[in-house]
Amino acid sequence: MLEHVELFFKSIFIDNMVFATFLGMCSYLAVSKKVTTAVGLGAAVIFVLAVTVPLNWLLDQYLLRDGALAWLGPEYADYNLSFLSFILFIATIATMVQLVEIVVEKFSPALYNSLGIFLPLIAVNCAILGGSLFMQSRDIQSLGLAFNYGLSSGIGWFLAILAIAAIREKIRYSNVPPPLRGLGITFIITGLMAIGFMSFGGMLTGGDEAPKEVEQKTAQKVEEEKIIKETKENTVSYNNAIINE
Amino acid sequence: MSLKSNLHNLKERYKGKKMAPAFNAIHTFLYAPNETTHSGSHVRVVDDLKRTMNTVIMALVPVLLFGIFNAGYQHNAAVDAANGVIRQASIFGNFLTWENFIMGAWTVLPLVIVSYAVGLAVEFLFAVIKGHEVEEGYLVTGMLVPLIVPIDTPLWMLAVAVVFGVVIGKEVFGGTGMNILNPALTIRAFLFFAYPTWMSGDKVWVHQAVDLAGGPDAISGETILGYLAQGKGAEMSYSVADMFFGFIPGSVGETSTILILLGGLFLIFSKIASWRIMVSAVAGALVMGLIFNGVVDAGWITETSKFYGLMSFAFWQHLIVGGLAFGIVYMATDPVTGAQTNRGKWVYGFFIGFISVLIRVFNPAYPEGVFLAILLMNVFAPTIDHYVVRGNINKRLKRAKNATILPRDVEGKAQELKAETV
Repeated sequence: MLEHVELFFKSIFIDNMVFATFLGMCSYLAVSKKVTTAVGLGAAVIFVLAVTVPLNWLLDQYLLRDGALAWLGPEYADYNLSFLSFILFIATIATMVQLVEIVVEKFSPALYNSLGIFLPLIAVNCAILGGSLFMQSRDIQSLGLAFNYGLSSGIGWFLAILAIAAIREKIRYSNVPPPLRGLGITFIITGLMAIGFMSFGGMLTGGDEAPKEVEQKTAQKVEEEKIIKETKENTVSYNNAIINE
Repeated sequence: MSLKSNLHNLKERYKGKKMAPAFNAIHTFLYAPNETTHSGSHVRVVDDLKRTMNTVIMALVPVLLFGIFNAGYQHNAAVDAANGVIRQASIFGNFLTWENFIMGAWTVLPLVIVSYAVGLAVEFLFAVIKGHEVEEGYLVTGMLVPLIVPIDTPLWMLAVAVVFGVVIGKEVFGGTGMNILNPALTIRAFLFFAYPTWMSGDKVWVHQAVDLAGGPDAISGETILGYLAQGKGAEMSYSVADMFFGFIPGSVGETSTILILLGGLFLIFSKIASWRIMVSAVAGALVMGLIFNGVVDAGWITETSKFYGLMSFAFWQHLIVGGLAFGIVYMATDPVTGAQTNRGKWVYGFFIGFISVLIRVFNPAYPEGVFLAILLMNVFAPTIDHYVVRGNINKRLKRAKNATILPRDVEGKAQELKAETV
């Protein structure tokens, strides 16, 4: 139970999809002009992540990872199909997004129209594929945790787009210098928001099992470790981005 | 009079030129201008932007003076402690002395001067480039910045951070009143993440502790939160009175809770700062503190845990150590970046207090995490406002829909217009 709670808050605030890994920026920047549309897209992302991550977890567990095919028989035990992850993950995601699109068109035409091209684009939203690949690389242990991870990363992304949409509505009449209007100021806002979200960086490190030496850790060390971790993750996400393209 | 007329002449001479805003700023900073308004209707109020800023500055002056004395006092106390002499703080005995004042002024005033000089230079530059009047927004920011940084912050770092904070934090949004994050906190955050060794740890809070480190006469300058975060609360020799009156190490202006309290009352009395934000922030901090105390009392967490030191800290004492009081009174109440609606202010303030204590306890890297909590809530303030406004609109729409005019009843008596209040 505790691991569920921890993973939930960790993926919303600490490993926030937008502010910690800067994934899913395209739709985040493009659809954040109005709060209502942002809420719609955010909800779509939550839904798609919450469905695709557990599905991909099952694929990964029983088809892709090293030795996953052992359930077919002992002769398949040393197959490693993980090179197929990208293709299979993307296929699952594309199918799910089509499904969401059909459902949204049927039940909420207004939302469907305001989302426009961005709903199909969720299929290639790096936050979605990123969720599945993080699930794989972070070695999420159970189907429940995978669902939790998808849901909470979606909520983190939702909060981010909600906050920036409200800020952009607020600064609509601000006297922003002309060269920065539009995307420029949005990028600056995103950077500043990421500073606010850094309050959670390195949170919850430690606990009962932490050895004594770790307790003496200075703030700087924690920072350094975080940077190393982030660079690793960024490399992963960069690769994802290339594949997305 | 002569200076005023000279300034007026200068202003007339440069009218329409590129440098005009710079001269106008100096003129109106010192005197009320000679012009009267010419056309249209105007809102005439006493507390314009300049008066608002001056009021906040007045509320900050006692804190600054105390910070100057405390800087000297903490240095001398730390030197004494290194020599094995434990000091008892007494206000007239060893606190309000010339020795402390001179040492403190020598370290604090350069911070103030650099902050104002660099920040105002940037403001003047932007006013000249963009061709508008110089705005007074930097007056308060420039005073807040030296009060929330550690005493020995190198001046060049401060200058770099001020440029970043004023340009990226404020000017790119169109200047005073348009920014989304508090510029002073943006400057603090920039310093914190760009130069972490100078912003946290056990050396930076007392004058010269960094220079003397490792030497034969090394002195220590750990803050109370630092002690607690490392589980060394027992080694701490500060009493509750010390924490309340402010004879403790910390950022320049944040230590004296009583003076901050007085400043806060002054701001509430002069209606500059929102009492709603202050009250709800205090409530949020107390609630979170109570929750953590409850966790300790219930025995869910043992003394070996990293979080034990801060979790077992009495909930009300969170208010009088570290920057929480200063942040709540002077930073959270910023009218530009805070929530604008009354109901939004309650939510906004509550979360500031709540998240501040949460970061303190759960984030071992940032025991002084108040400024981050305020920045985070600055990010979400527009969202809160949006939903409060939407809620009001929906409530009124519903009320308008439910309002029914009943037909005359049998006796022909007109019934009142009945509006259902939901």
